Amino acid sequence: MSLFLGLLAAGLAIGSIYALVSLGYTMVYGIIELINFAHGDIFMIGSLVVLGMLINVFHVTEASHLSGLPLIVVLVVTCVVAMLICAVLGVVIERFAYRPLRNAPRLAPLISAIGVSLILEDIGKFIIGPANASAPDVLPRIHYCIGPTDPNQGCLGMDITNIQILVIVVAVILMVALQWLVTSTRIGRAMRAVAQDREAAALMGVNVDRIIAITFLIGGALAGAGAFIFMLSVGVTIFNIGFELGLFAFTAAVLGGIGNLVGAMLGGMVIGLIRALVTYIPDKDIPFGLPHGGVAWQDAIVFVVLILILLFRPTGLLGQRLSEKV
Amino acid sequence: MSANRVKDEPESVGVAGEALLELSGVTKRFGGLVAVQDVDLQVKSKEIVSIIGPNGAGKTTAFNLITALYRPTSGDIRLAGKSIVGLSPDQIVTRGIARTFQNIRLFNNMTVLENVLVGQHTQLKAGILGSLFRPPAVRHEEEAARQRAIELLGFFGTALLERQEEYVINLSYADRRRVEIARALAAKPLLLLLDEPTAGMNEAETLEAVKYIRRLRDELGLTILLIEHKLAVTMGMSDRIAVLDYGRKIAEGLPEDVRRDERVIAAYLGRPAREDQKAAIEQQEE
Amino acid sequence: MATLMSGTLLPPARETRLLVIKWVIALLVPLLVFTFVWNGEAAINQIIVGLFIHNSTLGSRYDWTTLIGATIFFVLFYGLLTALAGYAVAADSGRQNPIMLWISMVVFTVVPIVLISIVNDLFVGISFSVLVWVPYFLILRFWHRSRPAVASALPRLTPLNSEEQASLVRRAIAGGFWFGLTFAVLSLVVDLIYFFSGQYGTDSGILLIWIVLRTVLLPLAGYFLGRLSGGLALRHTLKANGKKAQSSKEAIDPRLNPSLLTGLSASRSREEARDLVPNDAPLNSSGARNFYLVLLFAFLLCYPMIDPLLFGPGTEGRLSLYGDAGRYVILALGLNIVVGFAGLLDLGYVAFFVFGAYTWALVGSPQLTVLTGLVSDPHIWSWLFWPMVLVAALIAALWGVLLGAPTLRLRGDYLAIVTLGFGEIIPIIAQNMDKYTGGTNGLSGIYSPAFFGVQWNVSTPMPYYYLMLFLVALVLFANVRLRDSRLGRSWIAIREDEIAAASSGINLVKTKLFAFGAGAFFSGIAGAYFAAKLSTVASSNFSFTDSVLYLSMVVLGGLGSIPGVVVGALAVYAINVLVLAGLDNIGSDPASFLHPGYAQLQALFPNFSFGNIRNLIFGIILILIMIYRPEGLIPSARRRRELHHQAKEDEEVEVGALDATPGSAEFEKEVRVE
Repeated sequence: MSLFLGLLAAGLAIGSIYALVSLGYTMVYGIIELINFAHGDIFMIGSLVVLGMLINVFHVTEASHLSGLPLIVVLVVTCVVAMLICAVLGVVIERFAYRPLRNAPRLAPLISAIGVSLILEDIGKFIIGPANASAPDVLPRIHYCIGPTDPNQGCLGMDITNIQILVIVVAVILMVALQWLVTSTRIGRAMRAVAQDREAAALMGVNVDRIIAITFLIGGALAGAGAFIFMLSVGVTIFNIGFELGLFAFTAAVLGGIGNLVGAMLGGMVIGLIRALVTYIPDKDIPFGLPHGGVAWQDAIVFVVLILILLFRPTGLLGQRLSEKV
Repeated sequence: MSANRVKDEPESVGVAGEALLELSGVTKRFGGLVAVQDVDLQVKSKEIVSIIGPNGAGKTTAFNLITALYRPTSGDIRLAGKSIVGLSPDQIVTRGIARTFQNIRLFNNMTVLENVLVGQHTQLKAGILGSLFRPPAVRHEEEAARQRAIELLGFFGTALLERQEEYVINLSYADRRRVEIARALAAKPLLLLLDEPTAGMNEAETLEAVKYIRRLRDELGLTILLIEHKLAVTMGMSDRIAVLDYGRKIAEGLPEDVRRDERVIAAYLGRPAREDQKAAIEQQEE
Repeated sequence: MATLMSGTLLPPARETRLLVIKWVIALLVPLLVFTFVWNGEAAINQIIVGLFIHNSTLGSRYDWTTLIGATIFFVLFYGLLTALAGYAVAADSGRQNPIMLWISMVVFTVVPIVLISIVNDLFVGISFSVLVWVPYFLILRFWHRSRPAVASALPRLTPLNSEEQASLVRRAIAGGFWFGLTFAVLSLVVDLIYFFSGQYGTDSGILLIWIVLRTVLLPLAGYFLGRLSGGLALRHTLKANGKKAQSSKEAIDPRLNPSLLTGLSASRSREEARDLVPNDAPLNSSGARNFYLVLLFAFLLCYPMIDPLLFGPGTEGRLSLYGDAGRYVILALGLNIVVGFAGLLDLGYVAFFVFGAYTWALVGSPQLTVLTGLVSDPHIWSWLFWPMVLVAALIAALWGVLLGAPTLRLRGDYLAIVTLGFGEIIPIIAQNMDKYTGGTNGLSGIYSPAFFGVQWNVSTPMPYYYLMLFLVALVLFANVRLRDSRLGRSWIAIREDEIAAASSGINLVKTKLFAFGAGAFFSGIAGAYFAAKLSTVASSNFSFTDSVLYLSMVVLGGLGSIPGVVVGALAVYAINVLVLAGLDNIGSDPASFLHPGYAQLQALFPNFSFGNIRNLIFGIILILIMIYRPEGLIPSARRRRELHHQAKEDEEVEVGALDATPGSAEFEKEVRVE
């Protein structure tokens, strides 16, 4: 049971990261109907930025034992810088690779997105090489137990770490902020208008180019934040992490209903949970388990989920709309 | 492997006076909006029937229901006595209904001839193996198809014949209409649905269109159901007229009767931009 | 509107002379560069020596197949060029400026020959040439746009009478003859210089004989070849019978029915006029295309024989690489059916390749014993390769239908993602079900095919090369047949307008499934070949990156255009495998001209090598092509119009294959059909 709950916690944590990244996908798709293949790679670049900040700028190592104000400064600055760089990257990509193709048939910006993804991956490989790169542990890992504790078996309830809690909290804060932005501000209203009917919005005086750029900006920033908490919790990145993670995040967006922000958040959590819980499947032959255990099939199962949703409920769990209701 | 068998002739084909197409109580709902409400319509063989009505009255929706692009919420549609509800659009063509579209849907990057060849899809039999190996049967079939396509183009005179290798995107609007009709004819239909065939045409082109539409019935024995906005055209050409408004059929009958029908005039009068229509009707009265 | 050229007679004798000069120079310059600057002359000399003398230093290292094959090629090569000279002189309308022609010939033929000879690598040389071609092309276009538009006339549309026809043939003969003569004389001069400077050594006897023979035979050959070309040119003129066309084929043949040309729009009639003689640009005409095709055919067939003569040692390695390129061509052609013809965006095409590869791998290898207990004798079992290619293709086709079926109701982007999902799941299954598939390490010891008297193994690429040529030819043939058939038309109709297609009687489900199946079929062929050639198959061989690669081949080449897709596949393969590796080779070689720059780059960026930035270059190319030339390198005529056509105002938004399928619930919600 506690294993299950522990997996639950882990799933929610990674799910929060997926949720942040998937918001970028769902927003971009909602507004220009493009699957931004490069979004996952923006996340990857964000993770590299975090790495760079921690290692090269702040010189954090295992022995640093930061705490208190220095710790907060390091964390906040790193997060902000990552978000900024990813945001700018998103805008630049839109400007040069997507905007010229706005009136082209659908295939063109899709291929262009794939091209951007390839470029970013090579840049990533250039910076950190082909192998994994780890970030130093900035925060000490503290386990909390939600539920009864047993002196012999340890935690019987949910075993959750401080980092996981931080991850979930940061993600939720950002998601709430985004929701507020989209529903209660002028820019948010403009974004929803452009998503529903670009021409009408333009006729109403909305600067469509600017709004689209802002959408990419926000999406990028969220991806950067996701990269930050990812590096805090998982701590390992590789140049092609963006591809698969991007795919999972996109699945999350579709699961929740493409164009629907709350749906994306929900979808992210669900995908995270599915991935975590799937590891529970034992390494036996079908039908009692899977060869090599559920761990080896995590990715495949996410894709199966994706395909099943698209087949049976293509509008997603919550339906397609750019945040009509909270 | 054959995809679609050559169309079998339905039993009661060509017997003038019998109902070829029958709509009974056809209703179509899109969520909360009722586009077509409880419409009954009969089209007899070799008739030319027009559907008229203000914009948004559900005329094109009715066409889409007949050609299975939409599925009726309730009601039945029968062709030669057999229900065609639930079929797919391509099956409708095999049964004998072909159509044109209000905004002309040609295959823009194909030539005139190729468009008409596509129209013959249901008349040809070559499957994947036939396409690969081109046995003599298939070669003959293709040659015959080309011949037939040229004949169909010839129905409209020499204009299209001379342009048969032209990409349809380069043709004039009136020519594109004709190609679309030729493509529809290629499927050897019993019933031809024409959605605003004279839209966008000037007077001369309209007169010509009326002529060839009549010839479609007179020379080729087709039954024609058409949607038309130009009252002069419908009055002159139709055997019967049905009037739709807000999805309901509000009148039906001979052209002269429909023209004088008060409900029809009211339906048109209720729209601000329809003054000219009423004036036209009144002018005809004088 | 099309304008007709005023009815001028064919030019008098002086004009013929000018034309001969024009074309002899145009075609002779690249030929001379090839023969004397590069290895043409040396190669021929080696052939002669090799054929007739057995102990000389020059000729003894080549075996009979090489020599004979190379002989055939060179005979064809020089012969075709001579004939082409004749054809061009006959077919030219005389309106094109010779200087422009000469400059273009230099840029497009001399430059690549020179570059190839410098770097001694076919594909690297061509890539450098591309760097020259692109700016030249842009300059030309800019220059054309800045000049006032000249109405391009159609060729004369009145038929040629018999005197004019005879004059045409005479021109061709003149062209061929003078070409042959000039070339013979020039080669004679060069060879005499070589001879008298003693370069021929002990073989000079046989070579002298050859020189004399050549000087005599070439002009003669030119005469006869010119006559042949004249006949070919005649076939492309308007016939003088003037009778009304009888069959429908005649009715639409512009050569027989001039009214057809005048009835067409300007751009369309120009397209048709390209096939007529006289012609403003004879090298672009369909008559000249015959020459190119024969030359290409000879080149491909004889390549293993001429490679050692032209490029020196290393033929085996090169052959193996080039043969692999064919695999990509097949894959691209298959994907072209799905994406190019039918418009279904498939991002998971690699899955079917996997099926094809594993089908042969599981049957034609020791793994069969593991799975079924049957013990297979490699010598006998290898023969099974041939039927298994078909089986593999059919299995792949079956999976194409199975994996395509769920996608039928989806709109374009979602279809892409679902196919992507399948493309990811299949390799994962291959990896994890390692009891059957060998997992990451894969299966090895897969049997090569068997053929009479031919030895196949990993170190003999030549049989594989020819096998690949054969497969590519088959696949090309099938594709062309499919495209021009009822099925092909229905695919293109679906891509253009699904609603109109369905309303014309095309069963969308069946037709799309056929597209998936047919596309996957070819992928299966490539997969079986791959397994046999590499003799190992592992799940790490396949990934989404491959699917992207195939898609970019199709897009780069030109969606739906068969020649475009072939070129796109070769270009992508060249960039990915050959050029970058070749650049690395050349850069690391201290003696080459690239080395200083290369070394500097490496000093600046420690990780640098061309292979490492492959994806970077590739990504940039993809983006640039999408922005500036989305119709691809050799677009089908349709596509170019499709992408550059300005939407007219009264045209509604096209509902293409990328949106919901008619008849589905989603369709009604989204689209109001008007």
